[in-house]
Amino acid sequence: MQSAYIGKLMELAEKDPNILHILADSGTGYDEMFRRNFPDQIYNFGIAEENMVAAAAGMATVGKIPFVFTAGAFLAYRSFEFIRDDICFQNQNVKIVGMGSGLSWSSLGPTHHTTEDLAVLRAIPNLMILSPATPKQVAACVELAYKHQGPVYIRIGMNREKEFFEDPYEITEGRNDILTVGDDILIYTTGSILEEVSEAAEMLKKDGKDVQVMNACIIKPFACPELEQIRPGQTVYVVEEHNIHGGLASILAEHVAFNGLGCKIVPIGIEDRFAAGYGSIKQVRKANGLDAVSIYERIKSYE
Amino acid sequence: MGNSAKEQQELKELRKLIFITGYKGGMAHLASCYSSLEMIYTLYRKGILRLDRKDPKWNDRDRFILSKGHAGLALYGVLLQEGLITEEMYKSYLTDDSAIGGEPCMRDCEWIEATTGSLGHGLPMSVGIAMALKMNHSEAKVYCMLGDGELEEGTVWEAAMSAPSFGLENLVAILDCNDIQKMDLVKNTIGMDNWAEKWTAFGWNVFETDGHDIEAFEKTIREIPQNGKPTFVIAHTTKGKGVSIMENNPNWHFRLPGRKELKVFKAELEIDDSELE
Repeated sequence: MQSAYIGKLMELAEKDPNILHILADSGTGYDEMFRRNFPDQIYNFGIAEENMVAAAAGMATVGKIPFVFTAGAFLAYRSFEFIRDDICFQNQNVKIVGMGSGLSWSSLGPTHHTTEDLAVLRAIPNLMILSPATPKQVAACVELAYKHQGPVYIRIGMNREKEFFEDPYEITEGRNDILTVGDDILIYTTGSILEEVSEAAEMLKKDGKDVQVMNACIIKPFACPELEQIRPGQTVYVVEEHNIHGGLASILAEHVAFNGLGCKIVPIGIEDRFAAGYGSIKQVRKANGLDAVSIYERIKSYE
Repeated sequence: MGNSAKEQQELKELRKLIFITGYKGGMAHLASCYSSLEMIYTLYRKGILRLDRKDPKWNDRDRFILSKGHAGLALYGVLLQEGLITEEMYKSYLTDDSAIGGEPCMRDCEWIEATTGSLGHGLPMSVGIAMALKMNHSEAKVYCMLGDGELEEGTVWEAAMSAPSFGLENLVAILDCNDIQKMDLVKNTIGMDNWAEKWTAFGWNVFETDGHDIEAFEKTIREIPQNGKPTFVIAHTTKGKGVSIMENNPNWHFRLPGRKELKVFKAELEIDDSELE
């Protein structure tokens, strides 16, 4: 995902010298490649996320397009008021990129987990929110963020996510990606957890179920035209590496209620607590009921 | 050093305007406005800020960021006197059709460079603006005014550390050093107020001046060296300057006078009853 991010950013930086790669000492091995190619378009603010975010807003007033990159938790939580006042209220053309969405920083524990970012950031007006699941989606999100005049938040995983999309992949605004089509079970998901969801869907298929997997890449502005024709009483399983409060399940619940849709939502995410366990992403997802087997069993218990 | 008769008259008019507008609006940070007033006046009225009156967004303009946004009525007052905003806009303050509020807001006025009000935002934003201007090889400068209470915010120090490391000689931070914050004296709140030592240690040029003496303040600003470092100007001021009962009194951070106190304001600012109706 990091490679896809830097690759696309370098492609854009070459075309547009106003693009800046802005860091708070929490980058990746790919930053040196960027520095070698664009030494005048990369700045490291050191471990000072709030200063970095506010300074990026200042740069944007002069016409720069800063892509601010740091660990998602330090961005979304620590810099929250600076994102709100300086970037979003002033509607500045700044892109903020949180590395390590959900449980990605699995070995370091909840200070690094980014499991409430959608909840807090989606409450801020003017902010577009993108949640890519695969490297191709990351690249498409960077492109979309660049084309969008205004603040954008991109949350990206960091665990060598599998690719599920084919070239050429483009994000279509106003709709979701449908990975498999089916009538029995509808699973709606966002971000890196797509990998576990796909595996769970395969298990359900082996049980003879017809499964539809739908993926949201654009979280805000939210659109879900695919649910307009949903059968009354049908269940939508929302799987996310995020607190069940404030994330995709909540957004969908609002959407369903606001539009008088008749479906039922089963949230499968972090159950309003700080995530348990340490280890690989697989281990920590398992410890929190978000590995493929747990998702499969949870869905099966309702069917 | 000192202020000319014309300057004194214009400043008197501004103090009067700020009070009448704030009083009618029903809320104002009067003491903070009066503390910062001469400096904001000097920056705009003495031609220190290079602006294009016809194009508020001229790329190479100097920028002024009022990080201590609660002195907003002083900034808007100077903008009015300078002819950059209308009297109608100024006097709409806190009416049903307010075009301005208690803190400067970019949304409301194109001459406002940054929306402030939450402390500790102005200097970090100024760092970013100064960096971008430097990238563009612009000669424009960024002036950012902070309060001394505001220096308790951590982001001021994040910015203080970063500006010298980015070589921002185009950045000037001006400290409105009136020794008072909302609830008490600054030194009673945080103990030490050795600002010159602190900012020198962080790698800034540091100068001290009188923030109410226009000639002294102007000279300090105009003589800032271009030596690769950002500059910190400690401007000693009196909070509430111009009204005896408000001067140096922490009680006046965010209040308006009662009936008896109003008599003092009216006498010292030469205000008639009719002007408060």
